[in-house]
Amino acid sequence: MATGDSGSEAARVKPQEKFNFFQDERVRSIFFQILTVSVVVWLVWFLASNTAQNLEKRGLSFGFEFLGVAAPFDPDFKLISFTPGVDTYSRIFWIGVLNTLYVSFLAIIGMSFLGFSLGIMRLSNNWLISRVALAYIEIARNVPLLIQIIFWYSVVYAILPRLKQSLDLSGGAELAFLNIRGLYVPWPVPGDLLWMTLVALVVSVIATYLYRRWAQKRQDETGESFPMFLPSVGILLGLPAIVFLTTGSPLAWDVPALQGFNFVGGASLPRAFIALLMALIFYHSAYLAEAVRAGVLSVNKGQTEAALAIGLRPGKVLSLVTIPQAMPAIVPPMISLWMNVVKNSSLATAIGYADLVAVYMQTSLNTAGHAIEIVGMTMGFYMITSLTISWLLNIYNKRVQLVER
Amino acid sequence: MAYVSTKPTPPRKPPLNESTPLGWLKVNMFDTLFSSVLSILVLIAIFFSLKSMLTWGFIDGVWIAETRRECFQISIDGACWAGIIAWMDSIFYGLYPRDEIWRINLGGILLVIWMVPLWLPRVQGKVFVGFSAVALYPFLAGYLFSGGDKGIFVQVMIAGAIVCLVALTINAALGYFKNANLPNVIIDRLGKNDAPEKQKRNILLGVLAACLVAVFIWQLSWVEKSISWTRWGGLFLTFVIAGIGIASALPGGILLALGRRSKLKAVSFLSMGFIEVFRSVPLITVLFMATTMFPLFMPEGFVLNKLAQVIIAVCLFNACYMAETVRAGLQAIPKGQFEGAHTIGLGYWGTMGLIIMPQALKHMIPNIVGSFIGLLKDTTLVSIIGLFDLLNILRTISRDKPWLGLHQETLVFGALLFFVLCFAMSKYSRHLEVKLSTGHK
Repeated sequence: MATGDSGSEAARVKPQEKFNFFQDERVRSIFFQILTVSVVVWLVWFLASNTAQNLEKRGLSFGFEFLGVAAPFDPDFKLISFTPGVDTYSRIFWIGVLNTLYVSFLAIIGMSFLGFSLGIMRLSNNWLISRVALAYIEIARNVPLLIQIIFWYSVVYAILPRLKQSLDLSGGAELAFLNIRGLYVPWPVPGDLLWMTLVALVVSVIATYLYRRWAQKRQDETGESFPMFLPSVGILLGLPAIVFLTTGSPLAWDVPALQGFNFVGGASLPRAFIALLMALIFYHSAYLAEAVRAGVLSVNKGQTEAALAIGLRPGKVLSLVTIPQAMPAIVPPMISLWMNVVKNSSLATAIGYADLVAVYMQTSLNTAGHAIEIVGMTMGFYMITSLTISWLLNIYNKRVQLVER
Repeated sequence: MAYVSTKPTPPRKPPLNESTPLGWLKVNMFDTLFSSVLSILVLIAIFFSLKSMLTWGFIDGVWIAETRRECFQISIDGACWAGIIAWMDSIFYGLYPRDEIWRINLGGILLVIWMVPLWLPRVQGKVFVGFSAVALYPFLAGYLFSGGDKGIFVQVMIAGAIVCLVALTINAALGYFKNANLPNVIIDRLGKNDAPEKQKRNILLGVLAACLVAVFIWQLSWVEKSISWTRWGGLFLTFVIAGIGIASALPGGILLALGRRSKLKAVSFLSMGFIEVFRSVPLITVLFMATTMFPLFMPEGFVLNKLAQVIIAVCLFNACYMAETVRAGLQAIPKGQFEGAHTIGLGYWGTMGLIIMPQALKHMIPNIVGSFIGLLKDTTLVSIIGLFDLLNILRTISRDKPWLGLHQETLVFGALLFFVLCFAMSKYSRHLEVKLSTGHK
């Protein structure tokens, strides 16, 4: 390694470095890496051998055969059908996954809207509005999510009417009901010709896209600006509506009706679901509001002033100058908040909503055993979701990096 | 189109005066019609919600009653705070035997005494104060809280903790009142001011050893009744879990972050895997894993109680989150700082410990405190796996026969308690950030 180099500059004699085995950087680097790896390998081997011994001693086995065994219990809430005693644990797993994704999806939509509104409110010139938003944010962020979930759950319990006095949300039309057990809403039943409306919808989406592109191009060339919002809405809603009506409204509604001791028909959302959804939206929107505020504030004030100086109206300043520049600062924290929504939806287990953790990691683990496989599968689901989301985030980051500020 | 004005433009109106209350209102709440309407609507909403809350909580609230039924008889709509008051001891101490509660209080007071020097001006050796609080205090507090027999190692640590606490307190008092420090005062009293450094050090070590031996002999006769961890609960348990989590998350996080940034490929890969696995799963799954799989992982005959399993899980989980916070702080340090440190001949640990970490940690204070707040809030999750932390005690009240169904009051109380704690922490971090900022980033 370090031998003296007697090259052209003979006058400069490099000091002869002695090769010291213990001081050499490369040797030490390799030594420490081998040390770390061997410690980790030993640890894994130690845990694995202990586990194998313990399993053997308790007469347990490792394997995924239990997934094919019929599960004896029935989840409270499911998006796909389930027959206890016939359907298997693997179906239970998928019911849990779907329930988790379902509540997370709705919560993500809700918290994105609420969070953006709160962030804008927080930036309002009106002192009162901004303070109200601040109070909301501080309360939602400083109270544990679990307390909020249980609060929604039991306060809803205290306020809502009993079954016989169900609240009619449609104002006497007997379409949607709210009572202590949950929310009951009509559910669409598609008719034969509904596919034509769906085709019309797709066509109108494409048409809107083309119209906007054409208008944009036209504006770039001539400077004339075309109305965007109203024609888009017109095309998007008008075309499917016309097709829908001309084909004879091929959509029936399954309306919930009180029969005996429960509502029959329609779609029902249990109380635990509503409480979880509300708490997730309430809690995470406060974090998003702060991210939105920070993002908007990160845009240089000169940008807004310049936009106003060239004569843009305040609304256009926001939509054409401020928001596009604030988005790269808002989107990464927003996406990691989405991930938090998915992870935090696991707190459903405290109030008995049948999400993945409650229905698979708790109930199935108690009835089927196989702790290692079940915990591994549950964690695997969250890891895959998380990896997918961070992959999407990376794609976004690469795209916005091209328009460097 | 040409246009020449023939008369002067009228003068503009003077800007609104914000210094008078009315002017301030006009500018900040009623500057446009839309804004005024909004303000008035919000004011009305605030008025009514405040009014109903005050009526529920205070005007109609019941403070003295034996059962919830009695509460209803006094006031049907009001809050029944009597239930909270009846359970107050349990909310703070769980099922801890009532005549041993002084041990918890003493532990808390000792921690405060230990930490106070950090906030006093002119006190020397603050780094050691923080370090010893993490390294020694847990042994003293652990014995105080759980009692029973102590092993020889714990005995030594307890003696060390007591000596350390007394020395730190004297040192702090000397520093605060006389601007001196303890070692110098001891040397001075012994009249060895002119002795060489080595001799001074030996004298100090001798004094320390003598104190240790004395305290060690004294503590042999100090025996407390053993109290099982199953009786720990309430706010006390929440603080124990959060405290251990906070004390271990920062060192663990720093190590993991350094590992992830390490040039050694194997180290950085393993750290990264560890961090990412724990960060991508919810805490509740980690807690379940700890309680269901730890018994399988451990060798035969090695039994870890549930509380210890939970604490280990919380520590690992939060160390991984802290690692990402620390990594973000490290990335903000300019490369010149590393190069500068190398130039003056510092090695890896010298560079990190003396140059990089102090700067990075200062930058990260808001984020670190944010993680601590998250950790404190996350401790409520242990109630799901059956530990009687604050939240679980509060939920127990509503299942207690005299107070059956007392949900709102208990949850409001818990929410208020957490709000005060977390809000105070975040305000303090804001204050610290301003105080420590050097004016350049």
